[in-house]
Amino acid sequence: MIALPFGLVGILVAAIALTGQGSDSVLRHLYLVPAVWAALARGAIGGGLTGGLAGLLHAPIALPAVERAGLTSQTLDGLLTLLLPGLAGLLVGWLVDGSRARAGRLGAVLAIQRRLDGREPLESALTDVAEIVRRTLRARRVALLVGADILSARLVSVPTGTLVDRDCAVGFTLATGQSVASVDLRDDPRVRAGELPAPTPHRGLTRPLRSGAGVVGALAAEWIGEVPRAARAAADELAVHVGLAVENARLTLRQQRFAEELAEKVAAATARLRELDQAKTEFLSVVSHELRTPLTALQGFSELLLRSALPPERARQCLVYLHTEACTLGRIVGELLDLSRIETGRPLDLRPEPVDLDALMERNVELFAAEHRDHSFRWTSTAPGSAVHADRDALDRMVKNLLSNAVKYSPRGGCVSVSASPAADQPGMVELAVEDDGVGIPAEQLPRIFDKYVRLAHPETTTARGLGLGLSLVKALAEAHGGRIEVESLPGKGSRFRLVLPGLESQF
Amino acid sequence: MLLLSAPFDAAAVRPPRALVGGCGQVLLVVGPVAALGVALEGVDPAWGGLGHALAAGSLQAGLLAIGWLVATGAGRGWRAPVSRLGITTVGATLIARLGQWGPLAFVLIPLMLIREARGRVAIGAVGFCGARPIHALTGTVAGGFIGAHLLVTASLTLGYHVHVSSLTVYLGALAYDVGANVLSAEWLFRGALFTAVWRRSAFWPAATATTALAILRYLLDPALPTAAEARAGAVFYLGLVGLTACALRAWSGSLLPGYLAGLAFFAAYRMLTP
Repeated sequence: MIALPFGLVGILVAAIALTGQGSDSVLRHLYLVPAVWAALARGAIGGGLTGGLAGLLHAPIALPAVERAGLTSQTLDGLLTLLLPGLAGLLVGWLVDGSRARAGRLGAVLAIQRRLDGREPLESALTDVAEIVRRTLRARRVALLVGADILSARLVSVPTGTLVDRDCAVGFTLATGQSVASVDLRDDPRVRAGELPAPTPHRGLTRPLRSGAGVVGALAAEWIGEVPRAARAAADELAVHVGLAVENARLTLRQQRFAEELAEKVAAATARLRELDQAKTEFLSVVSHELRTPLTALQGFSELLLRSALPPERARQCLVYLHTEACTLGRIVGELLDLSRIETGRPLDLRPEPVDLDALMERNVELFAAEHRDHSFRWTSTAPGSAVHADRDALDRMVKNLLSNAVKYSPRGGCVSVSASPAADQPGMVELAVEDDGVGIPAEQLPRIFDKYVRLAHPETTTARGLGLGLSLVKALAEAHGGRIEVESLPGKGSRFRLVLPGLESQF
Repeated sequence: MLLLSAPFDAAAVRPPRALVGGCGQVLLVVGPVAALGVALEGVDPAWGGLGHALAAGSLQAGLLAIGWLVATGAGRGWRAPVSRLGITTVGATLIARLGQWGPLAFVLIPLMLIREARGRVAIGAVGFCGARPIHALTGTVAGGFIGAHLLVTASLTLGYHVHVSSLTVYLGALAYDVGANVLSAEWLFRGALFTAVWRRSAFWPAATATTALAILRYLLDPALPTAAEARAGAVFYLGLVGLTACALRAWSGSLLPGYLAGLAFFAAYRMLTP
């Protein structure tokens, strides 16, 4: 590009020499054209060189006149012609360089802000930012470090690949917030480069990246040879903008992460609410059904007793049915009341006392064995004295729920084993285990098994009745006693519920 | 990237260099020898040529020695190479007076400098190394252009003649430029001093300062014509050659292009006759 203005200068000099008008030729004013042209194309150096060349080539034309006539207005004009193109080229070039540098800095700032708008991961955006900074500073190498210290900071360098020493100049800038400038890194006593000086100086510059929170990183740039005049100011400006942009990007990313987490939580909560809503609906339906069944029986048998004069045996049979259904209704209402207490946070009305497990379990086992002839029940106890410190009714409800659950989810019949033993992992506690060989519980369902209104769907247990409250009530009652309930299960193999309650030695 | 890979100690300072002491020792040797030469030149016309050669040779040796000291930081063991270089320079200058082919002895000086510089990294770091052909060609063309411009301007303006009266004398002067004049200027001003200043500042301050010193060295040379226009021309052209050599040194990383530019310029200059 500079060759064309040079050529034009040559043509002008030749034209002036050939016309024979010497330094008076009007063509001399045209020297400004290539000088300004070169200045616009290549800045101050191009403009100065081209203008200087014009002056140099014009000297053999202008100087003889000065030597012959001395200093006159005409010869002074000739002397001015020697200087003017060079000065004009320098001035225009200087202005062009200045505006280009300013425009370059502004463009770089905009580009940096666009790259660090938080839409992309910081790592990849920083690589582009480092390249933008390198081009703007016209540096050989540029590194950006984002972080609090040199070892944990995120490092991006262009070109890629560099070793990092924990005591390096950039680390110093990160730690102290002070800039480092070196006119020759290989000859700088502060830098133990381990390399001898080269014919061309190796310049270096670091700047801290600051934000409202203090130093958030560092910018480092290296040049071989001359550092462009505007590079230092540009480095200062870019460091400020990169620091702020990095902080903004981090805040944006944090905000996005927070928003995503919030959205996930809201979605999960919404799904849970939907689930609960669905469960409530199902619950209402089941409750209606569960209440209607004994009520229908009560209604039917009581009407039969009122309207018909039944023989005593038959009337007694009806009364037994009425009593059984009333008990069922009472149990359902009791469960609902317990649930209501638990949900409203009211304490359960418990009256703990020593309870003989043998008697309680034998009675329940007999009861369930009589009702469910497809199942076999086995009760064993290794607990000393086979007694716990619990509310008798609550314990009875817990045992019944667990046995009922075991029967309900063993639709093909099978063995239900109940055992009591001292809790191995908790001295003073008694472990009551109810084990069945039924359909079992899938692993993903286990965490929800003690939630309210949860009823496991299984093709073989669709006819099983229940409110989905039994296990949640057992859990609440166990915890109210200072104990706990756990479950182990394998689908197709059965389940083992482990109810841990205080023994006679411990109080709750 | 040294800013990341090299350990940094903000409190470290440059160890003191024995530069001033070394330069003082060089001047202590060069001064009396040059004075002896000047004295010989003034006392006896028969010994005049020898005295002039002694004075000129010792001064060139002094420039080369100071360049060596600046380039190496006057590190340990500088006296032996500097002494050998100085003896070679003075010897070559004296031999040059002995006969028609005597100036060929000037070639010994760059050869000795190359021999002494071999294996010394600090000398290579000031640009005393080879250059790519394009850099060397550019230097030769630039120096030739400035020299040609000098010939045209001087002949048109001051009426100087461009001709070589004696090829032997012309080649002898060229040999002096090759081995002493241009060599010492490049070695000291563009090599040692420019490099030292450039390492501590930007290009233009370094180039301006070292070119000014180079011009001063020529202005103090009694061989330069005393006419005002000749001195103004000398300042202009030496400044131009100096700045060009600095630019070539910075561009190529080598002293060779600037050295060739200087040789090309002086090859033209030696053709001028008032």
